[in-house]
Amino acid sequence: MTTLQWARLSNDAFNVALFAYLGAMVGYFAYLAFGRDGIWKLARAVAFVGLTANLVSIVARGFAAHRVPWGNMYEYSSLLALLVVAGYLVIVEGVYKQRALGGFALMFSVLTMAVAVSFLYVGPGPLVPALNSYWIKIHVQAAIWGSSLFALGGIATILYLVQDRRERSRIDALRAEDPAPIMGGAIDMDAPVDLVGDASDEPALAEGSGRRGVLPPAATLDRIAYRIIAFAFPIWTFAVIAGAIWAQEAWGRYWGWDPKETWSFITWTIFAGYLHARATSGWRGRKAAVIALVGFVALLITYYAVNLWIVGLHSYAK
Amino acid sequence: MSSSSPSRLSLRQSVAMVWRTLRSMRTALILLLMLAAASVVGSLIPQIPNSPERAAQFLDTHPLLGEFYRRAGLFDVFGSWWFTLITVLLFVSLVACLVPRTRAAWRSLRARPIQAREIDAFRHYEEREVGLAPADAIEVARRTLRRRRFRVARDPERPSLAAEKGALRETGSLMFHWAFILLLVGVVYGKGTGYSGFALVVEGDTWIDAQANYDGQIRTGRFFDGEFTGIGVHLNEFESAFRETGQPMDFVSRVDLLAPDGTPIRPQDIRVNHPAKIEGITIYQSSFGWAPVIRIADGDRVLFDDAVPFSRQEAPEGVPDLAMPWRGVVKLPTLRPQVAIDLELWPDSRAFFEQLQTGEPVAMLVSYEPLMRYVVYEGKLTDPSPVSLDVRSMDETANGIVFAGTEADLATGKLLEDGDTPEGPTLGFTDLKQYSVFQVAKDRGVPIVLVAAILILVGLLPALYSSRRKVWVRAEPSEGGSLLQVGGFALQRKAQFEEEFARLVDALARAEGAGSDDTEREEVGTR
Repeated sequence: MTTLQWARLSNDAFNVALFAYLGAMVGYFAYLAFGRDGIWKLARAVAFVGLTANLVSIVARGFAAHRVPWGNMYEYSSLLALLVVAGYLVIVEGVYKQRALGGFALMFSVLTMAVAVSFLYVGPGPLVPALNSYWIKIHVQAAIWGSSLFALGGIATILYLVQDRRERSRIDALRAEDPAPIMGGAIDMDAPVDLVGDASDEPALAEGSGRRGVLPPAATLDRIAYRIIAFAFPIWTFAVIAGAIWAQEAWGRYWGWDPKETWSFITWTIFAGYLHARATSGWRGRKAAVIALVGFVALLITYYAVNLWIVGLHSYAK
Repeated sequence: MSSSSPSRLSLRQSVAMVWRTLRSMRTALILLLMLAAASVVGSLIPQIPNSPERAAQFLDTHPLLGEFYRRAGLFDVFGSWWFTLITVLLFVSLVACLVPRTRAAWRSLRARPIQAREIDAFRHYEEREVGLAPADAIEVARRTLRRRRFRVARDPERPSLAAEKGALRETGSLMFHWAFILLLVGVVYGKGTGYSGFALVVEGDTWIDAQANYDGQIRTGRFFDGEFTGIGVHLNEFESAFRETGQPMDFVSRVDLLAPDGTPIRPQDIRVNHPAKIEGITIYQSSFGWAPVIRIADGDRVLFDDAVPFSRQEAPEGVPDLAMPWRGVVKLPTLRPQVAIDLELWPDSRAFFEQLQTGEPVAMLVSYEPLMRYVVYEGKLTDPSPVSLDVRSMDETANGIVFAGTEADLATGKLLEDGDTPEGPTLGFTDLKQYSVFQVAKDRGVPIVLVAAILILVGLLPALYSSRRKVWVRAEPSEGGSLLQVGGFALQRKAQFEEEFARLVDALARAEGAGSDDTEREEVGTR
């Protein structure tokens, strides 16, 4: 196949992936609303179609450009979308047996790809000299893997906050119905509240909890968010370190507070704060989740804003 | 408090209180988030070390706010006293946390696992009938647990043992945190004893690593001993390759590296991402430009003959950088009145003429029949800089165009043709060379920083993924041999431990030669 044909195939597959993700997203939300297993199976199948198309698009892009297909924002976005969906299917559905996050994970990928194709598209071509290094294979891959997992963790965190709020208001409702005994409240607000069965630190993740189309209990979402972020954190750490090694090779210093460096450091610091907050009394639960949410926002800024609006050494990676 | 004024703390008490505050995780957490917030500020306001022009521009457009920023150190957040203060406090807090934790970890690593009184009170508990006598059963259990890398201590008084696993979690976490101290040491040592600066070399010239030869500011560390290497860099040729779109493809400086006495060490190609390393310094390709060779003569008297590095004019919005002409200045301070020539180089004259006709900017990717426009000023030179020109006390006397290989008359601004006699000094455009700018840096802390980074990563994995588990086994005499009681719990990853515990109990029972699981298994369940 010629370069042009590869490029065309890549673009077509990209569109197929985008629309498949969109369809799968609608399917997952429908599953959330109606709770029918059939809808879930269909949505999942469509998500797999999208995943395949996405992969084809990325590989074809590599053949079209004669290099690794992650050299600019458009290509990063495609890979990020792929990894978020794959991460969701493997980790959340595979390991934790939860299906309720699907629509949100797919929504993230749909938005990422839509922004990529509308604002960030560039044709396949060689890299600028600054990017021409084997470190691009290592640093950029690690950064995108870390980003995709942080994104999944961020989605789980948002849902945790929503669900936690719901559970709390349910407690308040229970309180209003059934006046508290004279000594203290009927339910201690600070203790983990067992409203949904197993509220121990590792709630039952398997059978049942993901069956009906409702959000899993807050404790489960919190656990999933934590696990995914704890998985992403070392990868992100590695990405930052690999970036520093590359900067030492390319720019003569391993750290120079370039906006991209600064923001990846900010993201790292906030998620480090989140991991510590979970081990600090008085910070567990909502407060820690809010930190993770801020980390998610910092990640988006690191990914988009720094490349597009803040002038720095990473500006070529538009 | 026994003191007469209960509100006043003694010095000792205050120190203890500050220390306690610093030691708390909450303090470290807040400092960490403050560091992140400070970095956000640093990324939003233009920073002088990263982009001095943009910082200066900000000061111009927002004088009042700019002045406030300047006083608060917001133009150099990462070098400001308060950023350093947060970092130092964070590190003090880190050490304050780490010292007692390390001591405790060391003690618990050396201590034997502690025996338990009530095994069946633990979160996980199971019993199995086994055929061995209690003492033998415990010995077998000890061996089984040892094989599974538990640290095991037998109870000297009873047929009972205590076992532990997963000390790696705390060890890894401590390694992760201590590595940051090492990182700080590496950074301070490297920056403190090193230097970095820019070297501008024109094709055919040799640059020597010495303080005076750096272009612009050189940053030297506080503990730098002042010894530059004296290494020479002879630039044979600079090559740049562009795609038709103007996207750069390759920049390469072909250099000879020379020893301080001038003897060649080796030739090398320096590219982006491929620096030269020699004698503890690293030489990076940073930027490049055009350096026309300009010869100014008055009859037989040569007033000036040298390659002048030009700088590219800043491109307005929407114009490609490569379409911009280059600017340089030649000053002749010995003439009376003093003379300055402001020059504008068009490396590709086709772009010049096309822009003249159509008004459209055209990128200049190669040199092609280059030309220079110039303006001659006479008067008093007030600006000593070799790259800028202040003409407020000078008058324009002539202007014109000169092509490569031609000469112009500075008095009239006319190009000289064969046989013409100039009225004043002549301006010759003899040759067009390129120059290359290298970043030269010496940082001996890099290996330390690298080791610290590796330790951070290696420590992080067990700190996040391994878990501490404790198991106790006791054998009570029974009719068939003994009743094996197994209890245990995990401090982290408790869901996984449930399965691991079940497998462990099975393995113990198998090792003890218990009957088949189904017949003798007595499920007590999980608490």
